[in-house]
Amino acid sequence: MSDRIHSSTGAATGADGAFAQAVRDALCHLPGLGGAAGTHAVGLASDMAIMSLLALSAYLMLLVGRVSFGQQAFFGLGAYASGVLSAMFQVPLGLALAAGAAFGALCSWLLALPTLRLSGLHYAVATLAFGEMARIALGWWHWQRPGEDGPVGPAGIEGFRDIRWLLENDVSPAQYLGLTLLVLLGVLVLLMRAERLRLGVGLRMVGQDDTLAAAQGIAVDRLRLFAAALAGGLAALGGGLYAHRTTYIEPAVFDPMLGVHAVGYALLGGLGTALGPLLGVMLDLGLLDASRLLPGWRMVIFGGLVALFLRWRPRGLLDETLVHRIATAWRLRRGTAGTPGLAPMPSPPNLSRRKTP
Amino acid sequence: MNLFLRPSPFCSLLALGAWWAMTPLANAQNPAPASARPQLELQCVSYGTGPMLECLVDLKRRDGAPLEGATVTLGGLMPSMPMAHTIRPVKAAATGRPGQYKGTLELEMLGVWAVDVDITGPVRDKRSRNLVVHECEGNARCPATPARPADMAPARPGAAHKH
Repeated sequence: MSDRIHSSTGAATGADGAFAQAVRDALCHLPGLGGAAGTHAVGLASDMAIMSLLALSAYLMLLVGRVSFGQQAFFGLGAYASGVLSAMFQVPLGLALAAGAAFGALCSWLLALPTLRLSGLHYAVATLAFGEMARIALGWWHWQRPGEDGPVGPAGIEGFRDIRWLLENDVSPAQYLGLTLLVLLGVLVLLMRAERLRLGVGLRMVGQDDTLAAAQGIAVDRLRLFAAALAGGLAALGGGLYAHRTTYIEPAVFDPMLGVHAVGYALLGGLGTALGPLLGVMLDLGLLDASRLLPGWRMVIFGGLVALFLRWRPRGLLDETLVHRIATAWRLRRGTAGTPGLAPMPSPPNLSRRKTP
Repeated sequence: MNLFLRPSPFCSLLALGAWWAMTPLANAQNPAPASARPQLELQCVSYGTGPMLECLVDLKRRDGAPLEGATVTLGGLMPSMPMAHTIRPVKAAATGRPGQYKGTLELEMLGVWAVDVDITGPVRDKRSRNLVVHECEGNARCPATPARPADMAPARPGAAHKH
């Protein structure tokens, strides 16, 4: 076993495997990724990428006019689901993550069905209640199977240890960071492309004024269900990545504060583009927490910033206006001022679910 | 949605990423045999402001022999605030006693901390222990006790907190 664990060629065979191994080795030997400082940097970057997925899920809900304080529940459900699959049933990581994301999307869709008619504060409270119900339920959940080193699986409030897929398959933290960043990049590009399509415009219209959107023939409920499922899937994907990174999860991890932070990051970073939540995460985790500039004051500063932004810039730093200005300036610089750049508003019939004559 | 139908650099990037991510998965081997995982004993004491958490790690092979020559890195996070308050990991130094390593973490606050022990070298492993870091006055050094379910459970109205 020792040979397999330490042999970098043990996990990949053949020409394809050799190339993949070379890519992973290159990532592993990036400058500055060695030693305890490198470990901290890799860990911090992984945390930021995973938190960005959760913030993006909160952003999607905000986009359709929903303030959800329950996204941490889907994060937790995804973490447990993918952890159970990979640690108890030896399902490969990719499949475990995909299944966890699908499970999170399904749960989120199921929650969205009975809460479709709720709005504002009522919806926020409903999602908060669901988040707490899920966390308490995970605290009751005992399901363990015998493993080589003792029982493996969720053990109620004591958590779920030994999610060891990365260790057993010789994946280093730097390589896992590469995978996490790749997942985040894929999600980000998909969302940014989708925002330029009718789908993205429809989501924004629903979020701005659902009555007006419905009057223009947009299927408001369908879009909200879609957004909820997608947001749940994203949060669960982040949870799966988190569980495999830390090898250990417990219900306390999925505290309401996690969901509140996710909403805070989206509100702080801005709702004008999918890059906004990432900016929020970078401001808090990357600047305030990692720099240790003002230890002990981080939560105060973060909370104060959110409060100030809600008063003076309610749609965050990168709001729609700023994004539009940046896009216009970019187009002017490139000499393509006449070309529509940001999400051109389609004519109402294109968004309609009714056939127009 | 033509995004998915039209070949683009984005699609190529996603395909490349998916292929890269799947390659180790396709070649994944069976889980490690039990005998390779070392036995671990972790004892920590807290002191000073911050507070500081000094941890002694004893590693043994399954046959009881001390595990020497390992690189041991200690880290910590607060389970109730994941991805925040993640403290800087420190490398634990060998104390001179076979299989024993010592490192000191600089925590941000008292409470329940999950202390991670990352082992590389002869074997690769990662363990996590939940410890309660208590307030320690003056120059005293207080043992960090293993967190029990009561320490981790959400507070319930009327429930007595046992210590």
